[in-house]
Amino acid sequence: MTRPPAHLAALGDAAVLVVLGDEIDEMVNARVHRLAAHLHRLHEADRRFGPPVPAYATVLVPVDPLDPGVEAAIDLLAATVAEVEARPAPEIAAGGTLHELPTRYGGADGPDLADVAALHDLRPADVIELHASTVYRAWFLGFAPGFAYLGRVPPAIATPRLATPRQRVPAGSVALADDQTAVYPVASPGGWRLIGRTDVDVWCPAADPPALVQAGDRVRFVPVRD
Amino acid sequence: MLEIIEPGLLATVQDAGRPGLAHLGVPRAGAADPWSLRVANALLDNRPGDAVVELTFAGARLRALEPTVLGLAGADLGGHVDGGSSVPPGRVASLASGEVLTFGGADRAASGARAYLSLPGGVDVPEVLGSRATCLRGAFGGLNGRALRAGDAVRGCRAGELTEARDERWPGSPITPRHADPVGTWRLRVLRAPPELWSVPAAAADAVFEASWTVSPASDRMGLRLDGGGPAAIAARSRPSHGVTFGTIQLPPDGRPIVLGVDHQPTGGYPVLGAVISADLPALGQLVPGDAVRFVVVDVVAARAALETDRAAFRAALDALRGDARWSDLWRSAGA
Repeated sequence: MTRPPAHLAALGDAAVLVVLGDEIDEMVNARVHRLAAHLHRLHEADRRFGPPVPAYATVLVPVDPLDPGVEAAIDLLAATVAEVEARPAPEIAAGGTLHELPTRYGGADGPDLADVAALHDLRPADVIELHASTVYRAWFLGFAPGFAYLGRVPPAIATPRLATPRQRVPAGSVALADDQTAVYPVASPGGWRLIGRTDVDVWCPAADPPALVQAGDRVRFVPVRD
Repeated sequence: MLEIIEPGLLATVQDAGRPGLAHLGVPRAGAADPWSLRVANALLDNRPGDAVVELTFAGARLRALEPTVLGLAGADLGGHVDGGSSVPPGRVASLASGEVLTFGGADRAASGARAYLSLPGGVDVPEVLGSRATCLRGAFGGLNGRALRAGDAVRGCRAGELTEARDERWPGSPITPRHADPVGTWRLRVLRAPPELWSVPAAAADAVFEASWTVSPASDRMGLRLDGGGPAAIAARSRPSHGVTFGTIQLPPDGRPIVLGVDHQPTGGYPVLGAVISADLPALGQLVPGDAVRFVVVDVVAARAALETDRAAFRAALDALRGDARWSDLWRSAGA
């Protein structure tokens, strides 16, 4: 299978967006994290390049707008990107710590569990069974400190976001949006469907690293009672 | 040491922020106007990225609990010592114990809406993840991870060493550099994003860049939502969420652009029209709801020239203030 070549685009005068694909795809994301690891080493060796920001199918690289400037930075980065991308495809399953998060489903901890079940003609217990039987991969971190986008949720329980976001979602809430799931690390506004809650601190600024789940890690939710 | 009597619209402890932690979901945070952060610190011989208090628009009142020297930069928020002299930006002020500094309000069309108050040695709060900046979304950094409120007190790390009255003033322009504008409209210079990535129709992007906009009430340090001219709705390809920057201009389906602020989420999924150039990020950081904004499309050469001009002006003012090459070198090595 041939891959489309990476596309490097200036985002303003101080960042380069490296685009490896247009879709949410496990193989593209594995390449993203392989490339981000290389670009992080580049940052450590050459401070004109900032720490890379991986997402589903892209890596954003902050660059110094005067030295080298964004256009020269694209040329310099293109060489590294081409070299890494020329290697054989990485293994999707390789690497990543497995985190098991004890989770209380439903009730006050997961106020949207019943709605999610009803939308799919399932019992709440079926939703819990499906959600907890999947090992998820962290696509990347974004939205809020320590917020890992986890996928993929089984199609039988994939559910769109709420029409109107909540003003405040409690920290530790376990939530669904389409085929993704996540733990809210801190209390914040949010539009994902809340199906449970965990007491595990996925974000602790005093810890090293402060985010429990790193991009590329795996997560399993373990149902518990109070 | 200063006691917060009233914080005004929003008062937070900020420094140069945490630009290196976006991959953990951490917003950059820090001073919305990085130029004025450096001016406020230079006035007191602080390091360029020392922590300051960022004040917004109007209403802040602070009482000196001991003889206190402070520097002021950024927007002119009408600062004055109660019953005494005015304290404009670009000046060092000395307060006697018990004196109160009040900020009556901004002529925001003239100089913006955010002022920066420095204290000797930088505001003394714990460093969290490499910075003293307040992360409002994550509730850490700054003073207990939150905005300042009545009854709080802030102190400089070297407060005891600098209590003499001084009459320093910033030798350069005291207000944030901004692109020329005749009638109270802020102009932000932008570099267009490559159209092929988001397939935003060229006519739609042109309409956004040519229209007049007003900063909507639903705006804060995370981003500015713009109301007003431009197309009603846009059909553009959406992409999976990707990394974004301070100054990225997004176009949601309703056709009203969002300009990301210094507290922006590290990733976003809306189509991108372009980004504000580095030289105009300080001006972007001065905007609040009600301000009038237009975009000016430039190229990379102009963006570089604008940044070089501003940095040269800053260095010239710094050299004039200190006349000490060694000290200026320290700042240069810190990227000022």
